[in-house]
Amino acid sequence: MSQPKEIFVRMDRCVGCHTCELACAVEHSTSKSIFSALSETPVPRKRLYVEAVERQNVPLLCRHCEDAPCARACLTGALTQDELTRIVSHDPDRCIGCWMCTMVCRYGVVGRLKEQRVAIKCDRCPDREVPACVAACPTRALVFTREENFAGIVRAQAASQVAQGYAMGKNE
Amino acid sequence: MKDKRLIPTVCPYCGVGCGFYLVVHEGGATGLEYRTDHPVNNGRLCAKGNAALEVLHHPDRLAYPMKKIRGRWERITWSEALNTVAAKLQASCDSNSPDSNAFLASAKCTNEENYLFQKLARLLGTNNVDHCARLCHAPTIVALAAAFGSGAMTNPLADLARADCIFVIGSNLAANHAPALHWIWAAKDRGAQVIVADPRHTATAWLANEFLQLKPGSDVALLNGMAHVIIAEGLADLNFIEGRTTGFGALAACVKEYTPQKVTALTGLAASQIVRAARTFARAEAATIAYCMGITQHTTGTDNVKAIANLLMLTGNIGRKATGFSPLRGQNNVQGACDMGALPNVYPGYQKVDDPEAMTKFSRAWHTDLDTRVGLALTEMFKAAHNKQLKAMLIVGENPLLSEPNLPFVREAIHNLNFLAVQDIFLTETARMADVVLPAASFAEKEGTFTNTERRIQLLRQALEPPGEARGDWQIIAALAARMGFPMHYASAAAIMDEIARLTPIYGGISHGRLNRRGGLQWPCWDHGHPGTSRLHVGQFTRGRGKFHVVHDRPPAEQPSREYPIVLTTGRVLEHWHTGSMSHRSAVLETLAPGSNVDLNPGDAARLGLMEGDGVEVLSRRGKIQGKVHADRRVPRGTVFMAFHWRDAPANELTNDAVDPQSKIPEFKVASVSVRPLRTRAAGP
Repeated sequence: MSQPKEIFVRMDRCVGCHTCELACAVEHSTSKSIFSALSETPVPRKRLYVEAVERQNVPLLCRHCEDAPCARACLTGALTQDELTRIVSHDPDRCIGCWMCTMVCRYGVVGRLKEQRVAIKCDRCPDREVPACVAACPTRALVFTREENFAGIVRAQAASQVAQGYAMGKNE
Repeated sequence: MKDKRLIPTVCPYCGVGCGFYLVVHEGGATGLEYRTDHPVNNGRLCAKGNAALEVLHHPDRLAYPMKKIRGRWERITWSEALNTVAAKLQASCDSNSPDSNAFLASAKCTNEENYLFQKLARLLGTNNVDHCARLCHAPTIVALAAAFGSGAMTNPLADLARADCIFVIGSNLAANHAPALHWIWAAKDRGAQVIVADPRHTATAWLANEFLQLKPGSDVALLNGMAHVIIAEGLADLNFIEGRTTGFGALAACVKEYTPQKVTALTGLAASQIVRAARTFARAEAATIAYCMGITQHTTGTDNVKAIANLLMLTGNIGRKATGFSPLRGQNNVQGACDMGALPNVYPGYQKVDDPEAMTKFSRAWHTDLDTRVGLALTEMFKAAHNKQLKAMLIVGENPLLSEPNLPFVREAIHNLNFLAVQDIFLTETARMADVVLPAASFAEKEGTFTNTERRIQLLRQALEPPGEARGDWQIIAALAARMGFPMHYASAAAIMDEIARLTPIYGGISHGRLNRRGGLQWPCWDHGHPGTSRLHVGQFTRGRGKFHVVHDRPPAEQPSREYPIVLTTGRVLEHWHTGSMSHRSAVLETLAPGSNVDLNPGDAARLGLMEGDGVEVLSRRGKIQGKVHADRRVPRGTVFMAFHWRDAPANELTNDAVDPQSKIPEFKVASVSVRPLRTRAAGP
């Protein structure tokens, strides 16, 4: 079976513009439009977070971990992991707001709906071919691809840097 | 959705000129869709672009003309509004001279509107017309006209992707031109080297293979230092210098003294960094320089740009693919406003007002006598208003009461005017001080063209009706002109463009019909068969031979003193745009960046006994503001950074209005200030 696509982050490319967060909130609104979305109840909420740390922005979003700790910790079955795609999805009707998932998530990406005591997290945009955050990222810091492809991108970049350094060394 | 229409449009924020589709349903804008086939942004938009529609239906939109009567705004009819403005402008003409009026055009408005506006000023007998390019890229126009003969970005943005070395100096393009960044990343993927020079460790600096954190105002020293290394190590492109330039001998003599050791002292950089940057730049097959306000907003602005031109000619990086000169422009149509002659010294197409031939040409076309004296620049207008030489001003879509340096002085200047009319889509800080306010249409509510940073003229289509009685700026200007005895009969914006094309050689082949295609056309476009020009100075410079200029390091106008020991440098943040008349009215952008900060190095903050979020007072020789401390390692010691977007802490209360003598741009980037805690913190454990 071929690998499923995942959302990867090219950390060095993130400029912290928060466009992904906007796109995420809008995609999960009823109207799917930025200014109608603002007046909706519940207020559309983002499911990924761009954190600024020293000299670097880090977009954090659900990694849909294998044997996902959040799904394991969920006592009501609100969080379940798909057999095939490995996407961890959340059913608000089953959620009791116990926040076990929030506590076990090492990335802090399980949030809360503002108006209701239920958890909220990345669902990988089931209605879309490419997740909204990835489509919106102006610098393409977010990449939706297979792991083997992503590693290939990183290797190509590393190789070109090594080659450049090598050429510079010969020129000195 | 039934009746849903997709209207292609151009983002109203910065000068990159990103395209997107406006979704219109039942006469209202309901959303936007990415336009992945657009040649500038390939569908990418920054946070501002994504939020661009929020201002359209905002309840604060001006919907009818207003007049201030005893300090209160009263709604008036268009007829009364236009009659009042016309009478006041004519009155100051009659009792004094036409030069007692001044006209401030707008880089937010279309080419057609700027053309009409400067025409109106000139028909009224004055060249006192300018716009905010004075505050951003005035030195670019002056310096490039001298060095190359044409003051605009030389290559298309997409060329960045093919460069082998990209040198970004004095530009935080990651924040201010974010969608353009993807071209640079594409270049990096190919192995391109990126050099970034900035006093702050900005988001753009993260791109850098070599980051040069230089002292504010030491740009000429760095650029001359790099030229020194390039010449000394035999890396200069002698064929290019020999074949296409003049003045090399003088440049070589000038940079001889800028040894890495000397430049180290001036810039605070290590000699090895300067040498490395010079070698990387000179050895690249195709190298390009992108710069912005960090280069221009200095009393040495024109010299800074000339030093950049020197470096490009020295290495033969001009007139070819993926090379050249990228002055990144900050407003959607600031390039166009310059092209249209909304400047005190030139008619449309940079034809000089003091050139008798140009004067005669426009005088014939407009059926009137024209003045050959150069008018007042924006920065001079407020000085003239202050000493009451200027009586009346008409300001379109600009907000000098937040954007000008030394705001206390500008407030007094505007107070001293007999009459001020402001044409805008919101009641800005400047509009609040006006006598009459005229409600205008936004980018989605009118026809016209915008010219982006890479000289790309793009068509703007009307998607919505303006709110209430608001009208397109060109319609307002035409109606005003008619009331002053200059009938302007234009059926549409397209008809205005036809007149522009007749009088402006670089726009000679432009018509709305031809622009009705993806990506528009890039000027110069000489005639209706001409395909436009994506790269300038190929084979030959506009002025013939490129000219090297001798420029020397000069210190900023204001030096730190005992009383004002800290250097204030100003700039912008990604989430907001200039004076915020639009971005502060966007709920999304306000959520992302809710307030102003005074950014200090944590070391300086600790020395002053300040913690994150503490209130401080920042004082300069001109004014003072209060703000909240943000301790930020990206700001070097001895420096404080403030964005100028906020009304509650306007950085421009503090900035220095000393100007570059050649281009008259003020020194926004360097002012001396002191920072004081608002409350003394109790001595604690």
